[in-house]
Amino acid sequence: MVGGGTAGWITAGVLASRYPRRGEDGISVTLIESLQQPPIGVGEGTWPTIRATLKQIGVTETDFLRECDASFKQGSQFVKWVDGSDGDAYYHPFTLPAGYEERNLAPYWLEDPRGQSFAAGMCFQTEVCSRALAPKQITTPEFTGLANYAYHLDAGKFGPFLRKHCIDKLGVRHLYDEIVRVESKDSGDISQVVTKGGEVLAADIYIDCSGFSSLLIGKHFGVPFLSTKDALFIDKAWAVQIPYPTDDAAIASATVATAQSSGWVWDIGLTTRRGVGYVFSSSYMSDEGALEELKSYLGARGDLSRDLSFRKIDINSGYRQEFWIRNCVAVGLSAGFLEPLEASAIVMIELSAKSIANLLPSCHDGMRQAARLFNDTFRYRWERIVDFLKLHYVLSRRTDSLFWIDNRARESIPDSLREWLEYWRDHCPWHEDFPHREEVFSAASYQYILYGMGFQTYPAPWLLNDRDRNLAREKMNEAAQYAKTLAAGLPGNRDLLSKVRRYGLQKI
Amino acid sequence: MVNRVVLNNQIHRDVRIAAMRPTRENAEVNTVSVIPREFPRLLAHYPIFFTKNTETGRFETAALMGFQPQENLFFVDGQWDAAYVPLQIQRQPFSLITRRAEDSGEKPPSLDVALDMSQTVQSHEGQRLFLEDGQPTKFLQDITSMLSALVAGAKETYAFTGRLAELSLIEPVQIDIEFVNGSETKLQGLYWIAAATLKALPAAQLAELRDREFLEWMYFQMASVAHVSALVARKNRLLSGATAARP
Repeated sequence: MVGGGTAGWITAGVLASRYPRRGEDGISVTLIESLQQPPIGVGEGTWPTIRATLKQIGVTETDFLRECDASFKQGSQFVKWVDGSDGDAYYHPFTLPAGYEERNLAPYWLEDPRGQSFAAGMCFQTEVCSRALAPKQITTPEFTGLANYAYHLDAGKFGPFLRKHCIDKLGVRHLYDEIVRVESKDSGDISQVVTKGGEVLAADIYIDCSGFSSLLIGKHFGVPFLSTKDALFIDKAWAVQIPYPTDDAAIASATVATAQSSGWVWDIGLTTRRGVGYVFSSSYMSDEGALEELKSYLGARGDLSRDLSFRKIDINSGYRQEFWIRNCVAVGLSAGFLEPLEASAIVMIELSAKSIANLLPSCHDGMRQAARLFNDTFRYRWERIVDFLKLHYVLSRRTDSLFWIDNRARESIPDSLREWLEYWRDHCPWHEDFPHREEVFSAASYQYILYGMGFQTYPAPWLLNDRDRNLAREKMNEAAQYAKTLAAGLPGNRDLLSKVRRYGLQKI
Repeated sequence: MVNRVVLNNQIHRDVRIAAMRPTRENAEVNTVSVIPREFPRLLAHYPIFFTKNTETGRFETAALMGFQPQENLFFVDGQWDAAYVPLQIQRQPFSLITRRAEDSGEKPPSLDVALDMSQTVQSHEGQRLFLEDGQPTKFLQDITSMLSALVAGAKETYAFTGRLAELSLIEPVQIDIEFVNGSETKLQGLYWIAAATLKALPAAQLAELRDREFLEWMYFQMASVAHVSALVARKNRLLSGATAARP
């Protein structure tokens, strides 16, 4: 494993915990971490898959929450994305819409929304988020919740937290060193890597988690990088850390993404601070202009002070043409990066680690097929993320800048998304629309964005029936009732996190 | 409303307490928090389970008294219907409260004996709390030592349950009960000893549990579960109209 950021340690943790060393029998993992290259440390939002991943790696939720300053994330809130007016805001909660396990009930919400937004009417979690409540109680066991949840985490602490666990508990060998040479066999496979410290390391498979430097997949193999700039215009960011005004200030239960003239501002609450940043497009906005806009966002909330330090980040949006080549797989930023709008970075790392663990061939002959399967799956996944992110821009009706207007230009929209949007004119998104087993974004996510942004679907009357209409009414009533129960019974996000710090969560 | 007042040998010099008997306010609960030192005596009557403290999520030990939130099948017609009353009930209306000034201090906070003035405890007859010279009476000294035992017991409980949880020796249990009239109930939020884990426990850990007295407490808990059926029988007698049997 080359690289010790979030990608490196998640992948090392998943592989080493799935295949523990058993004498000669198991696999052994060595991770080389560069001291020259501090981890990027963005990507503080996760998806609910992270709970299963952490459990798989074998850490406790209590340790994780405490050591990574993590908080509970229950979805995203998009502010001013639809038309930019006051009160323009909608949620994309993690809990599936009401009745989703049984039927597609979205058509019945469209038919009779009963005065409620899609997310509020169809999902109890919207109420929980709007009150900044936790997804669970102190008595709820680790990694389970009364509402579906993920985390906001301090990426600068997450890597070291996993590193310690991987080394101490999973037997991962770790060295701080630099790779200076990559050597190949005649076949093109990597035969060994040589480090600055003089180590010669040979492995059956090499995993490139070297971040933007893409040491193996890019520099060594020269796999082309496919830019997605034509569809996703974001290419820069200003990031800043904001202290809480008081120790007991509320911690938001969702990532808040507020649209600006040339991009959007992320606002993420950890236990110790907020992480805020403006991702924007340099084609439409200068660095200085963006900084001013970010400052006015902060100023409006009383968060602007002299001692803030703003950091500029470049975003080169896109992904590799292939991720697994020969005996090398790229995971994390070396494989690709897209703007952080739906927190896809860490979930892609988890999915990659899991796929590698599942596909890992037991002898070299299996490598080619594993690579083919992996590449097909992950190309599909990156394409779908691009579609899904672009959807947020395509549905916007903002006209305040060319950034928003150009985002709706036909030639900037991927064909696949255009075809879906046409199809969704008379069908509400459903399972069949997304044929893969593990979609990064399911039909539920598409429903939340489409109907959150006011998209209209006009299903043919014969698609609707009274049985489902009644079920929809029943499920929406249940959701409203459960929202009330939880509003009364759940602690605040901050309250619960303080309690976890003090008492911990039980495993059962 | 509970109205707890810290005892003061001036203000409360002439207060007298009638015989301490469980009142409805205190007794109408279906679980009562208990401490391991009581287990041998509790074992005569009550099922003991682990429950989670709703404020901290930590495991505590509790005696089960009924099947609905305020149902105590051992409290019949204003009388406690068992030879041993758990300390947590016995101590009423007295309690210990933390002295405020030291709430934020580093050292263990000191505790004051408090009396719940909302209960009809004062009378012309009964036990005095203080002597004429302000010294506590034997009665109050006994109360104080009972309260101290509960505080020490709570510490022991957390040491006990904390270690068991670490060793995965506690597991959730759901008990489904059908009563004589056909009504059903599911007991939730209860935990017991994970017997299979205990059986497979390495010798060194078993010895540690034995040396810390935890092992015998575990067996008391396991044995006490047999009382669930006696508790069901109590409820069935109520449901079928018969008067609860008196010991």
